[in-house]
Amino acid sequence: MKPLHIFLFAVGIAILIALPLGQKTYIVYVLCSWLIFSIAAMGLNLTVGYAGQVSLAQAAFMGIGAYITALMTMAGVHWVFAATASVSTCFVIGLLLGYPALRVQHHFLAFVTLAFNTLVFLVLRNEEWLTGGSFGLVGIPRPEFGPLSTMKQLPFYYFALICFLVSAGAMAWIIRSPWGRAFKALRENPIRANSLGLNTSRMTLLAFAIGSAFGGLAGAVMAPLVQFIEPGSFALVHSLKILLMVVVGGAGYFYGPMLGAAIVVLLPEVLRFTEGYYLIIYALLVIVLMVFSPSGLFGLGKKLADRLRPQRVERGDLKQGSQL
Amino acid sequence: MNTQSNVLSVHNISKAFGAIKAVQNVSFEVHKGEILGLIGPNGSGKSTLFNCILGQSSPDTGEVYVNGKSVAGRPSHQLNKLGVGRTFQQLSVFPKMTVIDNIIMAGQEHHGTMFSRLFGASDAGLTDEAEQLTEFFKLDHLRDEEAGSLSYGQQKLLDAAMAFMAGPGLVLLDEPAGGVNLTMLEYLKDRLLTYNREHDATFVVIEHNMEFVMSLCTRIIVLAGGEIIAEGTPDEIRANDLVIQAYLGG
Repeated sequence: MKPLHIFLFAVGIAILIALPLGQKTYIVYVLCSWLIFSIAAMGLNLTVGYAGQVSLAQAAFMGIGAYITALMTMAGVHWVFAATASVSTCFVIGLLLGYPALRVQHHFLAFVTLAFNTLVFLVLRNEEWLTGGSFGLVGIPRPEFGPLSTMKQLPFYYFALICFLVSAGAMAWIIRSPWGRAFKALRENPIRANSLGLNTSRMTLLAFAIGSAFGGLAGAVMAPLVQFIEPGSFALVHSLKILLMVVVGGAGYFYGPMLGAAIVVLLPEVLRFTEGYYLIIYALLVIVLMVFSPSGLFGLGKKLADRLRPQRVERGDLKQGSQL
Repeated sequence: MNTQSNVLSVHNISKAFGAIKAVQNVSFEVHKGEILGLIGPNGSGKSTLFNCILGQSSPDTGEVYVNGKSVAGRPSHQLNKLGVGRTFQQLSVFPKMTVIDNIIMAGQEHHGTMFSRLFGASDAGLTDEAEQLTEFFKLDHLRDEEAGSLSYGQQKLLDAAMAFMAGPGLVLLDEPAGGVNLTMLEYLKDRLLTYNREHDATFVVIEHNMEFVMSLCTRIIVLAGGEIIAEGTPDEIRANDLVIQAYLGG
């Protein structure tokens, strides 16, 4: 890591620590939502942005994670164990959901994952004996760590921040490891990657499983934040929202989903002063962005940086003329 | 039949698509260190045969052995682990990855286990080896460029470099000269011959460029209508009437 990167990283952490100080409860709640959706979007970014698969089921994994955590913590199990169970279950289900990706691609795969999200929604709504049906689950406890309670909004923010940082650290580790390179190779040229010894089936399944596990963790943090969950919070529209976070921020960029989550979660709050027009303005902004920069805000930033940067003096190979 | 002494043994491979017999009872052996050319006019069955050897298409009949092991039905990644490298007819690099990352990717699956790759060094300890290969293929000045930004010929060189990264004993090259300019072609040939000499590697080359294939290969097999019509040294093939007929349609 270069000194500049360490400095920027430290500044970023300091901002995240200072951000909720002196803010009203609602603002802190919105910031917690941003951190949680960032975790979910980070996972989806691995599946979609790095590994090149399609998934419209991230909200379903948030739902599975949230319900498992809610049920376990309401039964007296500590959040750490409940969250571990949520993440593990989502990993295994994600692995299974990845199997169709070995046979179908692109919009066909989108439909498979969309159907899965709908299936999860229906199970959550219809299995009342377990999930409370449409009424959901109420009174989910917030975690306590010895003398430290997260009952108040500010301590919960720091709890969510720790979960976010651990997730971001794990994701950074995966992306910088040879696995990250293998995921990118899978996205860019799966046939070539396979010919180089990469078991593309296994990496496809892993991309789904890891991405889903992040969704499960997001759900496990979401449940104690809201303390009330119901199936509608994990319907298909929320999967589309998480996908929007990835795309708007920049799919395949590490910080893309965090920026995307900030836009999708925070921008409607910022535009609230426009009253009834905020959704229209928000939708227009997204459309304009997608038309002019399909690679998202980070892609746009990269394009601008390339344009502003002085043209490379001379690329190495051009010194040799056209002989190569 | 003794398959142990041969790096590649193809026995009675046949493949039909409906009524079209693409490959019919093709058998041949490739010995260690040999550069075998596989030529033939369009539609002669070269690519189908290549696909059958590489497990991308299942032959109707016949067997393929690599170093004496049957490889029928094995997926590409398993063949690669058995020491079979390949290049593609079309450009086949990872365009958004840098040259050095392309080459490291080509070797990393041969180092350690899946889990050690997750917890180990980000380059899987392959940077030095990859840099040596970029030097060998004169791509070192492009080390950190995105592969997609290279010229066609450079991408062809990179494609070849990737096929050699894992140190394969057998490399199947699918039209390596296609679309490459003359200067680059000479360079590519020189690199292939040098690699063959230094590593005693075995090549099977599909190629349309006769000059290239005649000067590169030690033995040539000619396919026409899915069957082998001639086999011999480049000089023997040049003088073969059946080959001239197959190409000129006489």
